[in-house]
Amino acid sequence: MTAKRVRIIALLAISAVFLLAWAFPIIWSVLNSLKTDSDVLAYPPKLVFTPTLEAYRDVLFGSGSILPNLLSSVIISVGTTVVTMLMAVPAAYALARLRFRGKKFAGFYVLATQMLPPVGIIIPYFLVLRNIGWIDTYQGIILIYLSFSLPFAIWLLVSYFEDIPFEMEEAAYLDGASRLKTLWRIIIPQVRGGIAVTIVFVFLNAWNEFLFAVVLSGNTVRPVTVAMFNFVSVEQTLWAKLAAVSVLAMLPVVVLGVVAQKHIVKGLTVGAVKGGGRR
Amino acid sequence: MPSFKPTRRTLLKTGTAAAAFATFAPAFLRQAAAQDADLAPYKSAQIDWQQVSGETITVAVIPASYFENLITLAPQFKALTGIDVRFEKIPPAQIRQKSVIDLTSKTGTYATHAADPMYYALYAANKWVEPLDTYLADKSLTDPAWFKLDDIIPAWRRANGIDGKLYGMPYDGEVTIQVYRKDLYDAKGLKPADTLEAYMSNAAALNTPNDRVWGAALRGVAGAGQNMYIYPSIFREFGGDWMKGGKLAVNGPEAEAALAWYVDVMKKYAPTAAANWNWPDIADAFSQGTVASYIDAHSSASVINNPEKSKVIGKVAYARWPKGPSGKRTTSIWNWGFPINSALPEKKRKATWLFIQWAASAETQARTAHKFAGPTKRSGVNRTSVWKDPDYIKLMNGFGENFVEVTMGALQEDTDVDWRPRVPQWPAIGDTMATAIQSALSGQATIKAALDDAQRRIEPMMRG
Repeated sequence: MTAKRVRIIALLAISAVFLLAWAFPIIWSVLNSLKTDSDVLAYPPKLVFTPTLEAYRDVLFGSGSILPNLLSSVIISVGTTVVTMLMAVPAAYALARLRFRGKKFAGFYVLATQMLPPVGIIIPYFLVLRNIGWIDTYQGIILIYLSFSLPFAIWLLVSYFEDIPFEMEEAAYLDGASRLKTLWRIIIPQVRGGIAVTIVFVFLNAWNEFLFAVVLSGNTVRPVTVAMFNFVSVEQTLWAKLAAVSVLAMLPVVVLGVVAQKHIVKGLTVGAVKGGGRR
Repeated sequence: MPSFKPTRRTLLKTGTAAAAFATFAPAFLRQAAAQDADLAPYKSAQIDWQQVSGETITVAVIPASYFENLITLAPQFKALTGIDVRFEKIPPAQIRQKSVIDLTSKTGTYATHAADPMYYALYAANKWVEPLDTYLADKSLTDPAWFKLDDIIPAWRRANGIDGKLYGMPYDGEVTIQVYRKDLYDAKGLKPADTLEAYMSNAAALNTPNDRVWGAALRGVAGAGQNMYIYPSIFREFGGDWMKGGKLAVNGPEAEAALAWYVDVMKKYAPTAAANWNWPDIADAFSQGTVASYIDAHSSASVINNPEKSKVIGKVAYARWPKGPSGKRTTSIWNWGFPINSALPEKKRKATWLFIQWAASAETQARTAHKFAGPTKRSGVNRTSVWKDPDYIKLMNGFGENFVEVTMGALQEDTDVDWRPRVPQWPAIGDTMATAIQSALSGQATIKAALDDAQRRIEPMMRG
């Protein structure tokens, strides 16, 4: 009994250390976002201070408002997620269930696109978009994001589809359902958890993306990850404003995480227990 | 054809918009009046400013107050020339990458951009940008008597020139100088250092970490524009020569002595964290009273004099770089200049030149500096005549003792066009050197090993 208790206490202590290390930057950002610039620099760091929403007011409604950038981020992330899912669900289903020529190659091809270091393909992407006049447009950035979100989504979804027993489908066929109807009515409801997980990951990747965005965006389309950088100017770093933008940019991610948490945890364990299904 | 059928919603929207306009109209009109400023000083130039009216150009700048002030004046440029300028603000770390991609792919996205002087060798070698001489010599485009090229800080023009040809017009720049706490120096009877040795002993005398005051701070973080921005001055002051016998050399006895001095100052007298500091961090620390002296850009004066966060206002003074063993003082020759993208069609190139001429003119420099209506004034104007203007001097001397004198002295006497190796391979060389300096500072390699290793890496770059 005591040995068990010691173990639990030790585990709790270790978890607390890790939790603190992970949570610290976020707590620090939130605190700094509520400080004035002089409080940010104060030493020893002030834990008790008069909070102010000035930084938030400035970044939201000041001259360099980030509202248009937040909107850009939303359009890009939602657009990427919707298009990805519309294409990834049927593709993953096909790879998991159908027998067709070149299936193995298709599977490998999808994976291979994930092997290229992204920095190596920025310039070709830039040239392609430039030639079709899609630099600094939503469709251009979403198209490029698809190139990494789609393979990722397909590979994540394939394992979920493979976990569904064939027998369920067969039962549906026996009752006279077509393949598409089976997919829609029987399979998709079964992989809801997996789809939710995929949506969250695809959305987060698009929301947090910086490397491609900084090159392919411009004045019209500029996501918040890129706009945020402008608070680190050559003259000074505007810590309070930078922290305020970071917190604002984190919010949708946190909300999504909390809402989808149940699915994420379930989704991850499903994969873990069944070991990726038959392959 | 769509007809206009007002619904309740559109009516409400229109009403709101009208109300909003009515509320803001007075402010809007005032601003318009201010922008409709006197164009006579520009019209005295014997050129046709309207010759390519109707063109639109895109200009990439970094987010910085000196460009913000210029953007504010853009409506005046439009009124003068009929040219629309679209500004795109790109963070300094990405502007080089984006402009190089634009130039290599010859897409002509940015008519001009705020350019790093170290990049002109690369630009010129590839003919990505135009030599400005042609534009300066063309009487239909430039009135030399009005533009007065010679008035533009000579060091910056040299920095932006390759083989005697100017490729980028300096707009705003800086020099590195000593910034020190006069109160602390006076209390100990110290004078600002005249030699690198004295700088070290001053730092030693003032270094009291227990009272949270460190003797000195220099840029520590690795980067071509970070630690490799301060080290080249020390290297040159120790008698280093980047192009020894026509071959790029970054190691050798002078380099070792220079790097040893840098590592010594940083390890003994700078806060430990300074190894990861960039210039804003140094200025932030100084403004909180924890650093007795630093050597960095004169433009950091505005940060350490910012009443909203500085605790040292009124206690700051300035001095030029201490002399090195070679007897020289070597400052930086940094400036943001505007080149002309060669990929543009002729009319747009002309429009770009008119923009550059307008931005670099004495009138615009004054209007974005001491004559600027907004809160931030520029400390990096490109014209000797503006630096001699009593109004400007008065404004700048608000930053502390000797500010104008020291900055002008450094600009005129301490600049050195070979401060950093000006070769097309600079971007890669700058990064390699930055890594070497950092590994010596962190103790990962000895000074000699770090420099020899950098030399080994740089040699193949120069062969290519």
